[in-house]
Amino acid sequence: MLDGGQNFAGDMQLLQSIAEQLKMPLTAIARQAELGECGANISALDFRAVGEQANTALTLVDNYLLGLRLAVGQEILALEPVSAASVLADVAHELDGFAKRYAVPLEVHIAGKYEPVMANRKALRAALTSLGYELIAAQAAQCEAADTGFASAMGTAKNTESIGQDAANAAPKPLRASLILASHRTAHGIVAGVYGDYAMLSAPRWRKALALRGRAHQPFAALSASSAAGLFVADTLLQAMTAQLRVGRYHHQQGMAATLQPSRQLQLV
Amino acid sequence: MATILLIEPDLPLAKTYMRAFAQAGHAVHHATMAQQAIDLADVAMPDVVVLELQLPAHSGIEFLYEFHSYAEWQGVPVVINTLLPPQELSDVAQTLREALSVHAMHYKPQASLRLLLRSINDALVANAASKKAVT
Repeated sequence: MLDGGQNFAGDMQLLQSIAEQLKMPLTAIARQAELGECGANISALDFRAVGEQANTALTLVDNYLLGLRLAVGQEILALEPVSAASVLADVAHELDGFAKRYAVPLEVHIAGKYEPVMANRKALRAALTSLGYELIAAQAAQCEAADTGFASAMGTAKNTESIGQDAANAAPKPLRASLILASHRTAHGIVAGVYGDYAMLSAPRWRKALALRGRAHQPFAALSASSAAGLFVADTLLQAMTAQLRVGRYHHQQGMAATLQPSRQLQLV
Repeated sequence: MATILLIEPDLPLAKTYMRAFAQAGHAVHHATMAQQAIDLADVAMPDVVVLELQLPAHSGIEFLYEFHSYAEWQGVPVVINTLLPPQELSDVAQTLREALSVHAMHYKPQASLRLLLRSINDALVANAASKKAVT
């Protein structure tokens, strides 16, 4: 982020990444609007989809601006004891509609009881939300079963229109792999992250993605078809709290996570 | 009416395209990734492919080369509908058109459903005409 101009180039790269990322939800909204204009049978489900696309885009922008304000001192990053579990629960609630739209089941796993972490609740929630949006879309695209519910319903010529409309109006069938929002303790601290079915996710690929941020249309092609701006915004917010987004594992799933330091304050009370 | 293989990684956007194509009377099969699309083409026997180049894991260009390597699919026209800006494809446009059966290339943010459908229809007509000329 901005730091006496030294990181201005890095900030421009993040901005470029976000601009690229915003093309998708805005295109989706424009095409939905066009479909409605053509007299398609637009259901309440479709209006909700448009709303969710718009909210995703707005959240990305808001979270980026939060990171920017923290970086330039317009907003004070006050660290306080924060329950990682409660933040994850909030994030899961915020992501719920979006996850349903992409037919990705969400789970929240809190392993054991442990003390709060030293973090800024607003920034941590924003980081995990940005991360969640990105990984939900990635999971949906990569899941093997993504074809069901649509292609199989669009079959023969004579039934195309009615089957097509029924299939299009139906919510997508749930895909197999869940996205897990989890926190657990490690020797280094409390890890909070988002995990899923990402076979090609690795630390070297993530490092390469960071280097390609804003310079490649698809800096993290192993994970995502997009510019992965949500990951970079999450990383920026976490770095403001001296944490870092990295590739992590939870049980047999891979994902992105950050290690946060436990708060000692309540232990002294 | 034709069978369209739509390769689009974003599910909600794909759903919109599928509705538009279905409304126009086409049968639509959807894949989110290159390998999945190759597998689906075997089953779906598409008349035309609508392809996003920015795909997870393997790019749309890799898909095009793989798809075109099969004799039975070499004549299937491809309409590219991508987030990549047109200026970044100008160097490869000729190769895509001549060697990989790409009929048209569209920049997704600016390509309306109407334009896309027109492209699809043009590709189908051109393909039918060239098949007739051969026979």
